[in-house]
Amino acid sequence: MQGIRNSQQAKQFRALLKDPLLLVVLLFLIFFVVVAILLPIFSIVGESFSEEGLPLFRRYVTDPVYQNIVLNTLVMGTLVGAVGTGIGFLFAFVQVKLDVPFKRFMHFVALVPVISPPFALATSAIVLFGRSGSISRGIFGVRYDIYGLNGLVFVMALSFFTITYLNLRGMMEALDPALDEAAINLGASRWRIFRTVTIPMLLPGIASSFLLLFVEAIADLGNPLVLGGNYEVLATRIYVTIIGLYNPTGAAVLSIILLIPSLLVFVVQRYWISRISVVSVTGKPAGTPQTIKNPYVKWGLFAVVMFICLLVVLLYGAILHGAFVTVPGVRWDFTLDHFDFVLNGIGSQAMRDTTVLSGIATPIAAVIGILIAYIVVRKQFLGRDLLDFGAMLGIAVPGTIIGIGYILAFNTPIMIGDVTIIPKLTGGQAIFGGALAIVLVYITRSVPAALRSGVASLSQIDPAIEEASISLGADTVRTFRKITLPLIRPALFAGLVYAFARSMTTISAIIFLTTPQTKIMTQQILNEVENGRYGNAFAYCVILVAIVLVAIGVFYALVGTKTGAERRTKGE
Amino acid sequence: MNEQSKQVLLKLVDIVKEFPDRSGHGAVRAVDDVSLDIYDGEFLTLLGPSGCGKTTTLRLIAGFEIPNLGKILLEERDITQQPPNKRDMALVFQNYALFPHMSVYDNVAYGLQSQKMPRAQVKDKVTTSLSIIGLAGLEGRRPNQLSGGQQQRVALARSLVMEPRILLFDEPLSNLDAKLRVQMRSEIHRLQRSLGITSIYVTHDQVEAMALSDRIVVMNKGKIEQIGTPEEIYRYPKTRFVADFIGRANFLPATVSSTQNGSASLTVMGKQIDTRAPFEIEVGTVVTVMLRPEALTLRVDASLPQGVIEQAMYLGTEIEYMVRLDDIVITIVDNDPRKQHMFAEGETIGIDFIPEAVHLLPD
Ligand SMILES: Nc1ncnc2c1ncn2[C@@H]1O[C@H](COP(=O)(O)OP(=O)(O)O)[C@@H](O)[C@H]1O
Ligand SMILES: [Mg+2]
Repeated sequence: MQGIRNSQQAKQFRALLKDPLLLVVLLFLIFFVVVAILLPIFSIVGESFSEEGLPLFRRYVTDPVYQNIVLNTLVMGTLVGAVGTGIGFLFAFVQVKLDVPFKRFMHFVALVPVISPPFALATSAIVLFGRSGSISRGIFGVRYDIYGLNGLVFVMALSFFTITYLNLRGMMEALDPALDEAAINLGASRWRIFRTVTIPMLLPGIASSFLLLFVEAIADLGNPLVLGGNYEVLATRIYVTIIGLYNPTGAAVLSIILLIPSLLVFVVQRYWISRISVVSVTGKPAGTPQTIKNPYVKWGLFAVVMFICLLVVLLYGAILHGAFVTVPGVRWDFTLDHFDFVLNGIGSQAMRDTTVLSGIATPIAAVIGILIAYIVVRKQFLGRDLLDFGAMLGIAVPGTIIGIGYILAFNTPIMIGDVTIIPKLTGGQAIFGGALAIVLVYITRSVPAALRSGVASLSQIDPAIEEASISLGADTVRTFRKITLPLIRPALFAGLVYAFARSMTTISAIIFLTTPQTKIMTQQILNEVENGRYGNAFAYCVILVAIVLVAIGVFYALVGTKTGAERRTKGE
Repeated sequence: MNEQSKQVLLKLVDIVKEFPDRSGHGAVRAVDDVSLDIYDGEFLTLLGPSGCGKTTTLRLIAGFEIPNLGKILLEERDITQQPPNKRDMALVFQNYALFPHMSVYDNVAYGLQSQKMPRAQVKDKVTTSLSIIGLAGLEGRRPNQLSGGQQQRVALARSLVMEPRILLFDEPLSNLDAKLRVQMRSEIHRLQRSLGITSIYVTHDQVEAMALSDRIVVMNKGKIEQIGTPEEIYRYPKTRFVADFIGRANFLPATVSSTQNGSASLTVMGKQIDTRAPFEIEVGTVVTVMLRPEALTLRVDASLPQGVIEQAMYLGTEIEYMVRLDDIVITIVDNDPRKQHMFAEGETIGIDFIPEAVHLLPD
């Protein structure tokens, strides 16, 4: 038996060799994952376990200052996880279980943070609720200190809860209403059903959302830089270690400490939560979901969610407003100076560079993501799980760490003998002024989303449809182009939108990679915020969001959101 | 089909196919040492219970799976490693697998376009094949605008238009409701006979297999149990499994009174009969014989073995009785209910049978 199976694997491998195109694609994907993702991560591991690195470990672990930083990071992660999951749960619950007005508005508000720059909310919060905030001081007359843990949790929970909302909403919709009906039939009260049926069924989703937010929070750099004040976390300490102290080894060691919880969560997500999820098993729900009738519960929840929505609208409104006034929060004279600065002045280079580089990275990331998805779902070969795992590390690993990994890995050209395999990508004299490294990071960070939506979409398509094409004499390429691709159009669209939005708004990974030749908007925004020029920062934000929206329109025109099937049917 | 045309088109030689099992350590043997000749122009059916390896065998022939051991020869050429798109075969899938984003016309034209056939010729062929199959006028529809039966026809037309050397079917009728299934069955029968395309058909429905096939291959647990014409399989099953799977069967004990080259005298229910004995049996031992329910009759006759009717069901075309004789229950079908009245449950009655219908089974 063993012999037969080994020969089986040999045969699969030979079958792969016989499809040269597939082999080339596969090798390219492996090359990408190894060079763009694994190499930087291993560089950090290598650096921190080097002779200079190991003593630092000991120092950091025993030093109370660093112990405190780690504690701060964990506390912040836990609080953001809890609050964000709570908000996401409320939004999802209202959408699925309540019959109230403004549900579309709430949905829209929950999605806005996806396309906004990462610390736009933080900046806006300072302007509205800070020491001289228009609301805290202007209306209530208090000099509220928003810098620190409170402000961070407030802003991060509002910035990151989208993913929780979408997650839990999907699960609640998939919950079989027959379960509710069965419970009612057995005489259970609403509250009892909620406690004993709904919550337990959603528990894996809640746990998973909490973990995702936890990781997103501890990985975030932009918000703690803007809003952290004296509350220092690992991400900001890593930043200071490399930008202020120029100590890459120290940064690498701290990165490893930050990496451990992130990877742990990733692995738990991937191999445990996905397995214990009970909801997906029930399959096609039957019956109609019961809505909550109790007016106190109904309108109470509605009021809470509406309040949060208005808060978000207020915060974004302040950004829009602030972009058009002389000094946001202080002098409200109308001006276009900030826009002039971004569109025609010093800021215009950043706008152009960022858009061009994101525009280059986006299609590449979407294609790589979809190709990996295709190979992972459809092809049998040893190590395809590793390929998926490797690609997912691009987002599972905090951006700060990816950035530092790039500095360590690509500060010198990588040569084999006299041949340059990979030129110097980062630092002074980097190739294309460091632009290549930035594009690579954009791709690395965007591939996972395209990959996941590709996998989800491909799993919906009966493999027999592709086999039918093969059986009719079409080869792999024709089958992919004519059959698979049109059917996964929505995934491609989602991949493109996500990749572009992610690239335009990312900061933690590229903050270490910008050079005088290559300017990036998010970093410019940070600069303006740190120098108190909120007006310029807000103008940047508004223009950034506008660019993302235009890009979404372009992708829609080019790709569309419907599968070929729906599209053509509608056209009739 | 007559003897002269019996030219071997496709040959499976000692095929073994294993899949890794769920634990990932062991292996499931889906096809276990199968050898089979398929003749040019014949309609061959792979028949067996779910999970017996029919689909896997078909997919091996189509080239979607590669066997662990063994060879597949098409007209004496080894095609074991040939990729599926290079094989001159077309597979009709269980769930049709129509391209949902293409019109009926584009679905049917797809394979011809893959061959880079000139446009006008494609149009010709597609139109012809759609009209043969009764879909003329529906060219512009999408698959989701068609009924199940129409979708099935498109799938059929899509394969037929390729004029493949071999047509492969994987349970193509199993998703249709009973009436439509019978209708499509005779359609497939008519088409295959008129076009003469060699066809390999997979089903778990024995009636479908009997209705369509020149020959039936009965499979069980990855192995071939028996190959034969529908009549051979029905009348002379080689194993108890085949006897039980094809139609209904009673298994009765019989005593061997004498044997001579290839035949034997047996005592069955007190009656002395002669039957074929293609394998060794010993005089004096008890063996098992098979009797189909329609080969047994009920008659008021005190000289016959007396049974008690435990259940009687009137089914219109036939009456089905369950009759207890000593410690066994025998199924008896009276397929001319008008001839005599229906016996009542609880009645004691004589059991008779047609001696020629007795078929000896190995133990
Ligand atoms: N791709 C596969 N991976 C693992 N096991 C499989 C696969 N395909 C079939 N099998 C197993 O092989 C056996 C035969 O399957 P199949 O050929 O589909 O049977 P049938 O078509 O007769 O119902 C079954 O036990 C099935 O579970
Ligand atoms: Mg099958």
